[in-house]
Amino acid sequence: MKIRSDHVAGATFVTFGVVIFALSGDLPTGRLSMPGAGFLPKLVATLTIVLGAALFLRARESEPFSSLGWSDGKHAMLVMAITAAATALYTWLGFISSMVLMMLGLLVVIERRNLLRAGVYSLCTVMVTYGVFIWVLKAPLPKGPLGF
Amino acid sequence: MDRRSFVIGTTASAAALAASPAFAQETFPSHAITIVNAFPPGGANDLVTRPLASALEQTIRQPVVVETKAGAGGQVGAQVAASAKPDGYTLLSHNNGISGYAEVDKLFDRQPKTTRADFIPLARLIADPVLLLVNSQQPYTTVKDFIDDAKKRPEAIVYSSGGLYGATHLPVALFEKATGVPKLRHLPTNGGGPAITALLGNNAQASTQTVSATLQHVKSGKLRALASFGATRSKALPDVPTLKELGYNVEYYLWVGIFAPKGTPPQIVSTLSTAIDKAANTDAFKSAIANLGLDIGYLNAKDFAAFWDADAKRADDAVKTIGRVQG
Amino acid sequence: MESTLISLLHGFSVALQPDNLWYAFIGCLVGTLVGVLPGIGPLSGISILLPVTFGLNATQAVIMLAGIYYGSQYGGSTTSILMRIPGEASSVMTCIDGNAMAKKGRAGAALCIAAVGSWIAGTFGIIMLTLIAPPLATIALRFGPPEYTALLVLGLIFLAYMSSTSLVRTLLMACIGLMLGMIGIDNMTGHFRYSFGLAELGDGIGIVPVAVGLFGLGEILATPSHKVVGEVIAPKLRELLPSRQEWREASMPIARGSVLGFIIGIIPGSAHIISSFLSYALEKRISKRPEEFGKGAVAGVAGPEAANNSASTGAFVPMLALGIPTGPITAVLIGALMIHGVPAGPQLVSDHPDVFWGFVASMYVGNLMLLALNLPLVGLFVSLLRIPYAYLYPLIIMFCVIGVYEVSHSIVDVWIMLIMGVFGYALRKFNFDPAPLVLGLVIAPIFEQSLRQSLIMSNGNYLIFFSRPISLGLVIVSIGLLALSALAFVLNRKDWRTKLAEAEVGKTP
Repeated sequence: MKIRSDHVAGATFVTFGVVIFALSGDLPTGRLSMPGAGFLPKLVATLTIVLGAALFLRARESEPFSSLGWSDGKHAMLVMAITAAATALYTWLGFISSMVLMMLGLLVVIERRNLLRAGVYSLCTVMVTYGVFIWVLKAPLPKGPLGF
Repeated sequence: MDRRSFVIGTTASAAALAASPAFAQETFPSHAITIVNAFPPGGANDLVTRPLASALEQTIRQPVVVETKAGAGGQVGAQVAASAKPDGYTLLSHNNGISGYAEVDKLFDRQPKTTRADFIPLARLIADPVLLLVNSQQPYTTVKDFIDDAKKRPEAIVYSSGGLYGATHLPVALFEKATGVPKLRHLPTNGGGPAITALLGNNAQASTQTVSATLQHVKSGKLRALASFGATRSKALPDVPTLKELGYNVEYYLWVGIFAPKGTPPQIVSTLSTAIDKAANTDAFKSAIANLGLDIGYLNAKDFAAFWDADAKRADDAVKTIGRVQG
Repeated sequence: MESTLISLLHGFSVALQPDNLWYAFIGCLVGTLVGVLPGIGPLSGISILLPVTFGLNATQAVIMLAGIYYGSQYGGSTTSILMRIPGEASSVMTCIDGNAMAKKGRAGAALCIAAVGSWIAGTFGIIMLTLIAPPLATIALRFGPPEYTALLVLGLIFLAYMSSTSLVRTLLMACIGLMLGMIGIDNMTGHFRYSFGLAELGDGIGIVPVAVGLFGLGEILATPSHKVVGEVIAPKLRELLPSRQEWREASMPIARGSVLGFIIGIIPGSAHIISSFLSYALEKRISKRPEEFGKGAVAGVAGPEAANNSASTGAFVPMLALGIPTGPITAVLIGALMIHGVPAGPQLVSDHPDVFWGFVASMYVGNLMLLALNLPLVGLFVSLLRIPYAYLYPLIIMFCVIGVYEVSHSIVDVWIMLIMGVFGYALRKFNFDPAPLVLGLVIAPIFEQSLRQSLIMSNGNYLIFFSRPISLGLVIVSIGLLALSALAFVLNRKDWRTKLAEAEVGKTP
């Protein structure tokens, strides 16, 4: 049997539904006339399993799993890695530093742009955004150890 | 300068900056103070904290920023403040809810995220007594009518609250205990506003809500106030008897207080409480509170600490009375 | 009627005083800014500026703060259309067809239609507010938990029309959304559900982090810059305005959206969020070419935008007539009035006619100002798209982060957004459409709560849904819709959905 994309998707959803069941062990189900905290989650998890199974069974209609294009995968992973790093630093380094570093990272590492141009662009956009939020909207943004 | 020494230099100066407040203690405060508000805009906490912040800016001579960290019935804000550096620059504005979390967590065998011991009380800003209210389409005109009917038809009268174990749920539990009525049926909603809406629409027949939030509706005749949970009658509603007058030993207020995280140095605590004391006595703050229809219930740090102990006992008691909800 | 007109004229004499005009303008300007920038929603905008109004009188304060509120509804669509970032929950639907229009080079047209649709809907809302606020407010109060439940059942049925993928896929997405919506403290029993000890998850997962992740970040992950090279999406200046054809396609959706949004807006509670979703599904349901939805259908922008604007005006009905907040924003406005010693409530009209009628009249003026403010900005915003993609998408990511963080100052929300971005990327690979997921997320908490509240009210008796007139009516409509679909299915097995499914099959041998 050829593995098709809906085989993978359907199996994932079934697993997900089962995991939800496993996680809701201690939630009381209650009765139909007085549903408890676990009633609707378990109902929806059951539906997910049923629908996931349906998807799995009808997978013949979908394209083969191997034909899915992952050419953008490397780009996506790099973008995620840089954004996640910036998020981890966000409250610690403050808005300005972390966002400038993130934009620099995206522009220089992924897009291979000239460091100087990328730096000027990142710094300007971040500073303008910061100014608008702090002075015009008086909305607090996280500050770093250097006070900005 | 090569890159490494640049990095070291930056780190060192950053560390120096970060450490500077520590050896500048005698000049506290040297920069802006943040008050974490644990409740969303529109609630009593927000309406009371913002005027206080602008009054406090004058008396402490530093900017005072109100930062909303709402969620999970105030637990998110409490947790943020409890884990903040105890240097006096992060304060917390919270209400009754702060007392009961630990007891509720005990009920569910959960590790409490914060307990009362995590906070130092600085001041109580307001204390708004709650009223026992019924929709005016209901026949009850006195507390006695209400109690008699509740005894005759157990679990038939529906009351709305702003949330399970919340500040408008606990007084009902205290009321049930003091008057001996069998349990009323609880309709939890997600906030004070929705709870009042449910009562106005007669989807719930009764509710315990504050004077300031419901005065308009009592005056317009849509709601009827049967009794007040205050120690004395409310100035705005002098005809409504207190439960104490009627012989039931129940007292309950919705209060808003300011807290500092545990471990804040004593001299900073006293600087802050003096400044809050001054701010709470300014005309600007007083008139803002009066316009909200609130009685100023200001208590300084010492009196508030005593009040909080007594009030927390009431809250724990009420949570235990409610117990775990079926279903 | 005549007295209403006289009062309204009096209101205009208040609203047109230079001071009041100025504050209305400030409010609208800040509102536009707040709406355009992701993250700063009207709620935080208003509460941040609340202390500024302490020095003003009550009329000026409420004119300015309300301007922020309805002004933000105009700008809310901007980032959705240009960058696929929904700044507020109400602009999630705009992102789908609005951004698709932008990709076809019709960003200007989409923005224009959104602005004009908002203006028409806003003005319609105020006319209704002026004429029939008090009787409407009484009806609004009768909208209790059973009515809510029935309305959301209708919403769940509409779910099936949300997406152009097959029914199984649509329902699967909806299930995931419903499940995400059940994370957090259970309001009824106090249990923590699937929150893994994080207090930030106590109130559940927000709509903005999920929508921004799925739509905004997910899109960027799937679009490496080398694929965009050479593609010019910035239109010429004269192509900024919608064509005659586009106006024609937009007109009826705007009308329907205005009415639908207003009706949902007057209901107290959080229902107004679903107005734009319902409008989108409705337009798709009755459209002659439902397959165009998701690929840049004009009706998919016009309907939801109108609905969301008129819902925000409808929200003023219970606030002004009864003094009850329909949501957090009107709660802040009531608080602002109270700080100035003007209690909102049934007596507002008689006790403070200047405030009431001045406020109503200022909304007519404010909506005109917003139109005048927003149309010229269209050109400016569209030129954002002239930034090369390689430089544009880091900017979009920054807006995603700041937009999500600022909603409740929670870094956990940013992480949720990142996870949802990856999830959205995977969904795209496997040919799933995230729109039903977001609707599921919106509906789940309200539906569960109102269902269980209704059963508490009736002590477990399901007859409560059939014994109250409004709820019964909604249930009948739901059953009718289901019956119609079943009938269509039996009579003519090939509706557009099956045809589409077959086309999908045909495409992949």
